[in-house]
Amino acid sequence: MSDATGTTTDATTTEAQDAQDTETDELRQGWLDTLSEALGDAVIGSHIAPGRTLWVRVARDAWFDAAEAAKGRLGCTFFDFLSAIDWMPSPWGRYEYSAVDVGIKPFDPTAPLATGVAGGDTRFQLFCRVVNVRKPDGHPVEVILKADLPDEDLRARSLVPLYGGANWHERECWEMFGITFDGHPGLRHLYLPGEFEGHPLRKDFPLLARLVKPWPGIVDVEPMPGEPEAAEPAANGAGDGDAGGGAT
Amino acid sequence: MGLVESGKLPKPLTSLLNTARKYSLWAYQWGLACCAIEMGAAFASPRYDVMRLGVIPLPASPRQADVVVISGTVTDKMVPAIKRLYEQMADPKYVISMGACTNCGGPYWDSYSVTKGVDQVVPVDVYIPGCPPRPEALLEGIVLLQQRIGREDPAERWRGDPLVVQ
Repeated sequence: MSDATGTTTDATTTEAQDAQDTETDELRQGWLDTLSEALGDAVIGSHIAPGRTLWVRVARDAWFDAAEAAKGRLGCTFFDFLSAIDWMPSPWGRYEYSAVDVGIKPFDPTAPLATGVAGGDTRFQLFCRVVNVRKPDGHPVEVILKADLPDEDLRARSLVPLYGGANWHERECWEMFGITFDGHPGLRHLYLPGEFEGHPLRKDFPLLARLVKPWPGIVDVEPMPGEPEAAEPAANGAGDGDAGGGAT
Repeated sequence: MGLVESGKLPKPLTSLLNTARKYSLWAYQWGLACCAIEMGAAFASPRYDVMRLGVIPLPASPRQADVVVISGTVTDKMVPAIKRLYEQMADPKYVISMGACTNCGGPYWDSYSVTKGVDQVVPVDVYIPGCPPRPEALLEGIVLLQQRIGREDPAERWRGDPLVVQ
Protein backbone atom coordinates (compact mmCIF):
# COMPACT_ATOMS: atom_id res chain seq x y z
CA MET A 1 0.00 0.00 0.00
CA SER A 2 2.53 2.53 1.11
CA ASP A 3 4.79 1.54 -1.72
CA ALA A 4 2.03 2.04 -4.24
CA THR A 5 1.63 5.58 -2.99
CA GLY A 6 5.28 6.20 -3.60
CA THR A 7 4.99 4.76 -7.09
CA THR A 8 2.18 7.02 -8.13
CA THR A 9 4.08 10.08 -7.04
CA ASP A 10 7.24 8.91 -8.77
CA ALA A 11 5.74 7.85 -12.06
CA THR A 12 2.44 9.33 -12.98
CA THR A 13 2.80 8.52 -16.66
CA THR A 14 3.72 5.30 -18.40
CA GLU A 15 6.60 7.06 -20.14
CA ALA A 16 8.10 7.89 -16.82
CA GLN A 17 7.56 4.33 -15.71
CA ASP A 18 9.24 2.94 -18.83
CA ALA A 19 12.16 5.24 -18.28
CA GLN A 20 12.40 3.94 -14.75
CA ASP A 21 12.45 0.34 -15.88
CA THR A 22 15.62 0.93 -17.86
CA GLU A 23 17.29 2.38 -14.82
CA THR A 24 19.22 0.34 -12.37
CA ASP A 25 18.18 0.11 -8.80
CA GLU A 26 21.15 -0.14 -6.50
CA LEU A 27 19.09 -0.56 -3.36
CA ARG A 28 17.09 -3.49 -4.64
CA GLN A 29 20.12 -5.01 -6.36
CA GLY A 30 21.84 -4.81 -3.01
CA TRP A 31 18.88 -6.53 -1.37
CA LEU A 32 19.01 -9.28 -3.96
CA ASP A 33 22.72 -9.75 -3.38
CA THR A 34 22.14 -9.92 0.35
CA LEU A 35 19.46 -12.58 -0.08
CA SER A 36 21.65 -14.54 -2.53
CA GLU A 37 24.48 -14.43 -0.05
CA ALA A 38 22.25 -15.64 2.75
CA LEU A 39 20.51 -18.38 0.79
CA GLY A 40 23.11 -19.45 -1.76
CA ASP A 41 21.71 -21.63 -4.51
CA ALA A 42 18.23 -21.47 -3.05
CA VAL A 43 17.57 -18.23 -4.94
CA ILE A 44 16.25 -19.54 -8.24
CA GLY A 45 15.00 -16.44 -9.96
CA SER A 46 14.51 -12.77 -9.43
CA HIS A 47 13.16 -9.66 -11.03
CA ILE A 48 13.64 -6.01 -10.21
CA ALA A 49 11.27 -3.28 -11.23
CA PRO A 50 13.49 -0.29 -10.49
CA GLY A 51 12.00 2.06 -7.98
CA ARG A 52 9.08 -0.25 -7.39
CA THR A 53 9.44 -3.88 -6.46
CA LEU A 54 11.81 -6.76 -6.03
CA TRP A 55 10.64 -10.31 -6.69
CA VAL A 56 12.73 -13.22 -5.46
CA ARG A 57 11.91 -16.80 -6.26
CA VAL A 58 13.39 -19.25 -3.81
CA ALA A 59 13.45 -23.00 -3.42
CA ARG A 60 10.59 -24.38 -1.39
CA ASP A 61 12.97 -25.72 1.28
CA ALA A 62 14.40 -22.24 1.77
CA TRP A 63 11.01 -20.56 2.15
CA PHE A 64 11.38 -19.95 5.85
CA ASP A 65 15.05 -19.01 5.58
CA ALA A 66 14.25 -16.48 2.88
CA ALA A 67 11.67 -14.81 5.06
CA GLU A 68 14.06 -14.90 8.00
CA ALA A 69 16.77 -13.24 5.91
CA ALA A 70 14.32 -10.65 4.66
CA LYS A 71 13.32 -9.84 8.20
CA GLY A 72 16.74 -10.03 9.81
CA ARG A 73 19.05 -8.69 7.13
CA LEU A 74 16.79 -6.45 5.09
CA GLY A 75 14.72 -5.08 7.93
CA CYS A 76 11.41 -6.20 6.43
CA THR A 77 9.55 -6.27 9.69
CA PHE A 78 6.11 -5.61 8.25
CA PHE A 79 4.31 -8.70 6.99
CA ASP A 80 1.85 -7.67 4.32
CA PHE A 81 0.29 -10.85 2.99
CA LEU A 82 0.85 -14.47 2.18
CA SER A 83 -1.12 -16.25 -0.48
CA ALA A 84 -0.81 -18.63 -3.39
CA ILE A 85 -1.59 -18.64 -7.08
CA ASP A 86 -2.91 -21.54 -9.09
CA TRP A 87 -1.50 -20.83 -12.53
CA MET A 88 -3.52 -23.50 -14.29
CA PRO A 89 -5.92 -22.00 -16.83
CA SER A 90 -9.37 -22.80 -15.58
CA PRO A 91 -11.17 -25.41 -17.65
CA TRP A 92 -14.53 -24.23 -16.33
CA GLY A 93 -16.88 -21.63 -17.61
CA ARG A 94 -15.51 -21.38 -21.15
CA TYR A 95 -18.92 -21.95 -22.70
CA GLU A 96 -19.91 -18.46 -21.76
CA TYR A 97 -17.46 -16.85 -24.14
CA SER A 98 -19.43 -15.37 -26.95
CA ALA A 99 -18.78 -13.93 -30.37
CA VAL A 100 -18.56 -10.48 -28.85
CA ASP A 101 -15.53 -11.44 -26.81
CA VAL A 102 -12.25 -10.92 -28.55
CA GLY A 103 -8.80 -12.20 -27.84
CA ILE A 104 -9.84 -15.22 -25.81
CA LYS A 105 -7.99 -18.35 -26.75
CA PRO A 106 -9.56 -21.79 -26.48
CA PHE A 107 -8.58 -23.84 -23.49
CA ASP A 108 -5.48 -25.87 -24.19
CA PRO A 109 -4.58 -28.19 -21.31
CA THR A 110 -1.13 -28.86 -22.78
CA ALA A 111 -0.10 -25.23 -23.06
CA PRO A 112 2.76 -24.16 -20.81
CA LEU A 113 1.75 -22.31 -17.70
CA ALA A 114 2.21 -18.59 -17.47
CA THR A 115 3.91 -17.96 -14.19
CA GLY A 116 4.48 -14.21 -13.97
CA VAL A 117 7.65 -12.40 -13.08
CA ALA A 118 10.63 -14.36 -11.77
CA GLY A 119 9.28 -17.47 -13.47
CA GLY A 120 8.00 -20.73 -12.10
CA ASP A 121 7.94 -24.43 -12.82
CA THR A 122 4.88 -25.65 -10.99
CA ARG A 123 1.16 -25.08 -11.01
CA PHE A 124 1.05 -23.73 -7.48
CA GLN A 125 3.19 -20.90 -6.25
CA LEU A 126 3.38 -19.50 -2.78
CA PHE A 127 3.65 -15.74 -2.38
CA CYS A 128 4.64 -13.52 0.47
CA ARG A 129 5.16 -9.77 0.55
CA VAL A 130 7.16 -8.23 3.34
CA VAL A 131 8.04 -4.58 3.66
CA ASN A 132 10.75 -2.52 5.27
CA VAL A 133 8.75 0.37 6.62
CA ARG A 134 11.77 2.37 7.79
CA LYS A 135 11.93 4.07 4.39
CA PRO A 136 15.42 3.07 3.25
CA ASP A 137 14.61 4.59 -0.14
CA GLY A 138 12.66 7.58 1.05
CA HIS A 139 9.59 5.41 1.20
CA PRO A 140 8.86 1.87 2.35
CA VAL A 141 10.56 -0.82 0.29
CA GLU A 142 9.09 -4.25 -0.28
CA VAL A 143 10.24 -7.65 -1.37
CA ILE A 144 7.93 -10.32 -2.76
CA LEU A 145 9.03 -13.89 -2.13
CA LYS A 146 7.82 -16.71 -4.34
CA ALA A 147 8.25 -20.45 -4.04
CA ASP A 148 7.23 -23.26 -6.35
CA LEU A 149 5.24 -26.06 -4.77
CA PRO A 150 5.21 -29.47 -6.45
CA ASP A 151 1.69 -30.79 -7.06
CA GLU A 152 2.24 -34.03 -5.19
CA ASP A 153 3.59 -32.36 -2.06
CA LEU A 154 1.83 -29.08 -1.38
CA ARG A 155 3.51 -28.00 1.80
CA ALA A 156 5.87 -25.36 3.08
CA ARG A 157 7.26 -24.29 6.41
CA SER A 158 5.04 -21.95 8.35
CA LEU A 159 6.15 -18.35 8.78
CA VAL A 160 4.22 -17.93 12.02
CA PRO A 161 7.34 -18.13 14.25
CA LEU A 162 8.70 -15.14 12.31
CA TYR A 163 5.56 -13.15 11.60
CA GLY A 164 2.60 -13.68 13.89
CA GLY A 165 0.39 -12.07 11.27
CA ALA A 166 1.00 -14.99 8.93
CA ASN A 167 -1.26 -17.17 11.05
CA TRP A 168 -4.61 -16.35 9.43
CA HIS A 169 -3.06 -15.92 5.99
CA GLU A 170 -1.74 -19.45 6.14
CA ARG A 171 -5.05 -20.77 7.40
CA GLU A 172 -6.80 -19.14 4.47
CA CYS A 173 -4.20 -20.44 2.04
CA TRP A 174 -4.56 -23.89 3.52
CA GLU A 175 -8.32 -24.09 3.11
CA MET A 176 -8.51 -22.29 -0.24
CA PHE A 177 -5.61 -24.05 -2.00
CA GLY A 178 -4.94 -27.12 0.11
CA ILE A 179 -1.38 -26.08 0.94
CA THR A 180 -0.16 -27.39 4.28
CA PHE A 181 2.10 -25.31 6.48
CA ASP A 182 4.43 -27.28 8.71
CA GLY A 183 4.72 -25.86 12.18
CA HIS A 184 1.53 -23.83 12.03
CA PRO A 185 -0.05 -23.66 15.49
CA GLY A 186 -3.56 -24.58 14.33
CA LEU A 187 -4.54 -25.22 10.73
CA ARG A 188 -8.31 -25.11 10.73
CA HIS A 189 -10.97 -23.46 8.62
CA LEU A 190 -11.04 -19.68 8.69
CA TYR A 191 -13.69 -18.64 6.17
CA LEU A 192 -15.30 -21.87 5.09
CA PRO A 193 -17.83 -23.87 7.10
CA GLY A 194 -16.19 -26.73 8.93
CA GLU A 195 -17.67 -29.47 6.77
CA PHE A 196 -16.69 -27.84 3.47
CA GLU A 197 -15.05 -30.21 1.00
CA GLY A 198 -12.56 -29.15 -1.62
CA HIS A 199 -10.37 -26.13 -2.13
CA PRO A 200 -12.43 -23.44 -3.85
CA LEU A 201 -9.63 -21.23 -5.14
CA ARG A 202 -8.07 -24.04 -7.11
CA LYS A 203 -8.81 -23.51 -10.77
CA ASP A 204 -10.19 -27.01 -11.20
CA PHE A 205 -12.72 -26.56 -8.39
CA PRO A 206 -16.05 -26.90 -10.19
CA LEU A 207 -18.69 -24.25 -9.68
CA LEU A 208 -21.66 -26.58 -9.63
CA ALA A 209 -24.17 -23.83 -10.32
CA ARG A 210 -22.44 -23.15 -13.63
CA LEU A 211 -22.40 -26.81 -14.55
CA VAL A 212 -26.16 -27.13 -14.32
CA LYS A 213 -27.04 -23.71 -15.72
CA PRO A 214 -25.17 -21.56 -18.21
CA TRP A 215 -24.32 -18.09 -17.10
CA PRO A 216 -27.62 -16.22 -17.42
CA GLY A 217 -25.91 -12.98 -18.40
CA ILE A 218 -24.85 -14.39 -21.75
CA VAL A 219 -28.37 -14.35 -23.16
CA ASP A 220 -28.50 -10.61 -22.62
CA VAL A 221 -25.52 -9.84 -24.83
CA GLU A 222 -26.63 -7.63 -27.69
CA PRO A 223 -24.55 -6.21 -30.52
CA MET A 224 -23.60 -2.58 -30.24
CA PRO A 225 -25.90 -0.24 -32.16
CA GLY A 226 -24.63 0.36 -35.66
CA GLU A 227 -22.49 -2.74 -35.71
CA PRO A 228 -23.32 -5.76 -37.84
CA GLU A 229 -24.81 -8.73 -36.04
CA ALA A 230 -22.24 -11.09 -34.68
CA ALA A 231 -21.83 -14.19 -36.82
CA GLU A 232 -22.72 -16.45 -33.96
CA PRO A 233 -25.19 -14.95 -31.60
CA ALA A 234 -24.58 -14.78 -27.93
CA ALA A 235 -26.24 -18.03 -27.01
CA ASN A 236 -23.20 -19.92 -28.23
CA GLY A 237 -23.03 -23.10 -26.20
CA ALA A 238 -25.73 -21.84 -23.88
CA GLY A 239 -27.37 -25.24 -24.00
CA ASP A 240 -24.03 -26.90 -23.69
CA GLY A 241 -23.96 -28.55 -20.34
CA ASP A 242 -20.37 -29.65 -20.85
CA ALA A 243 -18.51 -26.72 -19.45
CA GLY A 244 -15.14 -27.77 -20.71
CA GLY A 245 -15.97 -28.37 -24.36
CA GLY A 246 -17.76 -25.27 -25.50
CA ALA A 247 -14.80 -23.01 -26.15
CA THR A 248 -15.18 -20.78 -29.16
CA MET B 1 -56.92 -17.84 24.99
CA GLY B 2 -59.65 -20.34 25.40
CA LEU B 3 -61.42 -18.95 22.37
CA VAL B 4 -58.48 -19.62 20.14
CA GLU B 5 -58.01 -23.15 21.41
CA SER B 6 -61.62 -23.92 20.83
CA GLY B 7 -61.12 -22.91 17.22
CA LYS B 8 -64.10 -20.60 17.24
CA LEU B 9 -62.75 -17.11 17.14
CA PRO B 10 -65.41 -14.54 16.34
CA LYS B 11 -64.63 -12.66 13.15
CA PRO B 12 -64.59 -9.19 14.71
CA LEU B 13 -62.14 -10.42 17.31
CA THR B 14 -59.94 -11.89 14.60
CA SER B 15 -60.00 -8.60 12.77
CA LEU B 16 -59.18 -6.70 15.91
CA LEU B 17 -56.30 -9.01 16.80
CA ASN B 18 -54.89 -8.82 13.29
CA THR B 19 -55.13 -5.06 13.19
CA ALA B 20 -53.31 -4.87 16.48
CA ARG B 21 -50.64 -7.25 15.30
CA LYS B 22 -50.00 -5.71 11.93
CA TYR B 23 -49.55 -2.20 13.26
CA SER B 24 -47.12 -3.16 15.98
CA LEU B 25 -44.55 -5.16 14.10
CA TRP B 26 -41.26 -5.42 15.87
CA ALA B 27 -38.73 -5.83 13.11
CA TYR B 28 -35.38 -7.41 13.79
CA GLN B 29 -32.64 -6.18 11.50
CA TRP B 30 -30.42 -8.88 10.08
CA GLY B 31 -28.19 -6.89 7.78
CA LEU B 32 -25.51 -8.97 6.09
CA ALA B 33 -24.26 -6.82 3.23
CA CYS B 34 -24.89 -3.65 1.26
CA CYS B 35 -28.69 -4.05 1.37
CA ALA B 36 -28.40 -3.29 5.07
CA ILE B 37 -27.53 0.30 4.16
CA GLU B 38 -30.89 0.66 2.44
CA MET B 39 -32.55 -1.09 5.34
CA GLY B 40 -30.88 1.36 7.68
CA ALA B 41 -32.12 4.25 5.57
CA ALA B 42 -35.66 2.91 5.72
CA PHE B 43 -35.60 2.02 9.40
CA ALA B 44 -33.48 4.69 10.99
CA SER B 45 -34.00 7.85 8.99
CA PRO B 46 -36.76 10.42 9.46
CA ARG B 47 -37.07 10.69 5.68
CA TYR B 48 -38.77 7.31 5.37
CA ASP B 49 -40.03 7.06 8.93
CA VAL B 50 -40.97 3.42 9.16
CA MET B 51 -42.64 3.98 12.52
CA ARG B 52 -45.59 5.60 10.81
CA LEU B 53 -46.38 2.08 9.57
CA GLY B 54 -46.29 0.81 13.11
CA VAL B 55 -42.95 -0.90 12.73
CA ILE B 56 -40.56 -0.69 15.62
CA PRO B 57 -37.18 -1.53 14.17
CA LEU B 58 -35.17 -1.89 17.36
CA PRO B 59 -36.11 -4.96 19.40
CA ALA B 60 -33.47 -5.89 21.90
CA SER B 61 -33.40 -9.52 20.86
CA PRO B 62 -34.97 -11.86 18.34
CA ARG B 63 -37.22 -13.10 21.13
CA GLN B 64 -39.06 -9.79 21.05
CA ALA B 65 -39.33 -9.64 17.28
CA ASP B 66 -42.34 -10.40 15.09
CA VAL B 67 -40.55 -10.06 11.79
CA VAL B 68 -36.93 -10.37 10.75
CA VAL B 69 -35.62 -8.52 7.70
CA ILE B 70 -32.78 -10.54 6.24
CA SER B 71 -30.92 -8.22 3.91
CA GLY B 72 -27.69 -9.10 2.20
CA THR B 73 -25.64 -12.04 1.05
CA VAL B 74 -26.33 -15.17 3.03
CA THR B 75 -23.35 -17.48 3.07
CA ASP B 76 -23.34 -21.14 3.96
CA LYS B 77 -21.33 -20.25 7.02
CA MET B 78 -24.03 -17.82 8.16
CA VAL B 79 -26.85 -20.34 7.72
CA PRO B 80 -26.65 -21.90 11.22
CA ALA B 81 -26.89 -18.43 12.77
CA ILE B 82 -29.98 -17.62 10.69
CA LYS B 83 -31.64 -20.89 11.68
CA ARG B 84 -30.92 -20.17 15.31
CA LEU B 85 -32.23 -16.63 14.99
CA TYR B 86 -35.44 -17.90 13.46
CA GLU B 87 -35.90 -20.53 16.13
CA GLN B 88 -35.46 -17.91 18.83
CA MET B 89 -38.33 -15.79 17.54
CA ALA B 90 -41.72 -16.36 19.07
CA ASP B 91 -44.56 -17.57 16.88
CA PRO B 92 -46.28 -16.00 14.94
CA LYS B 93 -43.15 -14.90 13.14
CA TYR B 94 -42.49 -13.56 9.69
CA VAL B 95 -39.46 -13.27 7.43
CA ILE B 96 -38.79 -10.58 4.85
CA SER B 97 -36.08 -11.46 2.37
CA MET B 98 -34.59 -8.25 1.05
CA GLY B 99 -32.44 -8.04 -2.06
CA ALA B 100 -31.31 -10.29 -4.87
CA CYS B 101 -28.66 -12.08 -2.81
CA THR B 102 -31.06 -13.08 -0.08
CA ASN B 103 -33.76 -14.05 -2.56
CA CYS B 104 -31.71 -16.31 -4.81
CA GLY B 105 -27.98 -15.70 -4.46
CA GLY B 106 -28.06 -12.70 -6.77
CA PRO B 107 -24.80 -11.87 -8.51
CA TYR B 108 -23.16 -14.61 -6.44
CA TRP B 109 -25.40 -17.29 -7.90
CA ASP B 110 -22.41 -19.47 -8.85
CA SER B 111 -20.29 -18.89 -5.78
CA TYR B 112 -18.96 -21.77 -3.72
CA SER B 113 -19.90 -20.05 -0.50
CA VAL B 114 -23.19 -18.20 -1.02
CA THR B 115 -26.54 -19.78 -0.19
CA LYS B 116 -28.82 -19.71 -3.19
CA GLY B 117 -31.70 -18.06 -1.45
CA VAL B 118 -32.49 -17.85 2.23
CA ASP B 119 -35.79 -19.63 1.55
CA GLN B 120 -33.79 -22.84 1.48
CA VAL B 121 -33.26 -22.34 5.18
CA VAL B 122 -36.25 -20.51 6.64
CA PRO B 123 -39.73 -19.89 5.24
CA VAL B 124 -39.98 -16.46 3.65
CA ASP B 125 -43.15 -14.38 3.65
CA VAL B 126 -42.16 -11.43 1.46
CA TYR B 127 -39.44 -11.23 -1.16
CA ILE B 128 -38.17 -7.78 -2.09
CA PRO B 129 -36.32 -7.74 -5.41
CA GLY B 130 -33.56 -5.29 -6.20
CA CYS B 131 -29.82 -4.94 -5.96
CA PRO B 132 -30.18 -3.26 -3.61
CA PRO B 133 -33.87 -2.40 -3.26
CA ARG B 134 -34.64 1.21 -2.50
CA PRO B 135 -35.95 1.97 1.00
CA GLU B 136 -39.37 2.54 -0.54
CA ALA B 137 -39.31 -1.06 -1.75
CA LEU B 138 -38.74 -2.25 1.79
CA LEU B 139 -41.62 -0.09 2.96
CA GLU B 140 -43.82 -1.65 0.31
CA GLY B 141 -42.71 -5.09 1.42
CA ILE B 142 -43.74 -4.24 4.96
CA VAL B 143 -47.12 -3.03 3.73
CA LEU B 144 -47.56 -6.31 1.83
CA LEU B 145 -46.71 -8.22 4.97
CA GLN B 146 -49.23 -6.17 6.91
CA GLN B 147 -51.91 -6.98 4.35
CA ARG B 148 -51.06 -10.63 4.72
CA ILE B 149 -51.24 -10.47 8.49
CA GLY B 150 -54.56 -8.69 8.20
CA ARG B 151 -56.03 -11.61 6.25
CA GLU B 152 -54.63 -14.27 8.53
CA ASP B 153 -56.70 -16.51 10.73
CA PRO B 154 -54.67 -16.49 13.95
CA ALA B 155 -56.68 -19.36 15.38
CA GLU B 156 -55.57 -21.57 12.55
CA ARG B 157 -51.99 -20.51 12.89
CA TRP B 158 -51.94 -20.91 16.64
CA ARG B 159 -53.64 -24.30 16.53
CA GLY B 160 -51.12 -25.64 14.05
CA ASP B 161 -47.79 -27.17 14.78
CA PRO B 162 -45.12 -24.65 15.60
CA LEU B 163 -42.84 -23.88 12.70
CA VAL B 164 -39.54 -25.60 13.30
CA VAL B 165 -36.64 -25.44 10.91
CA GLN B 166 -35.21 -28.82 10.12
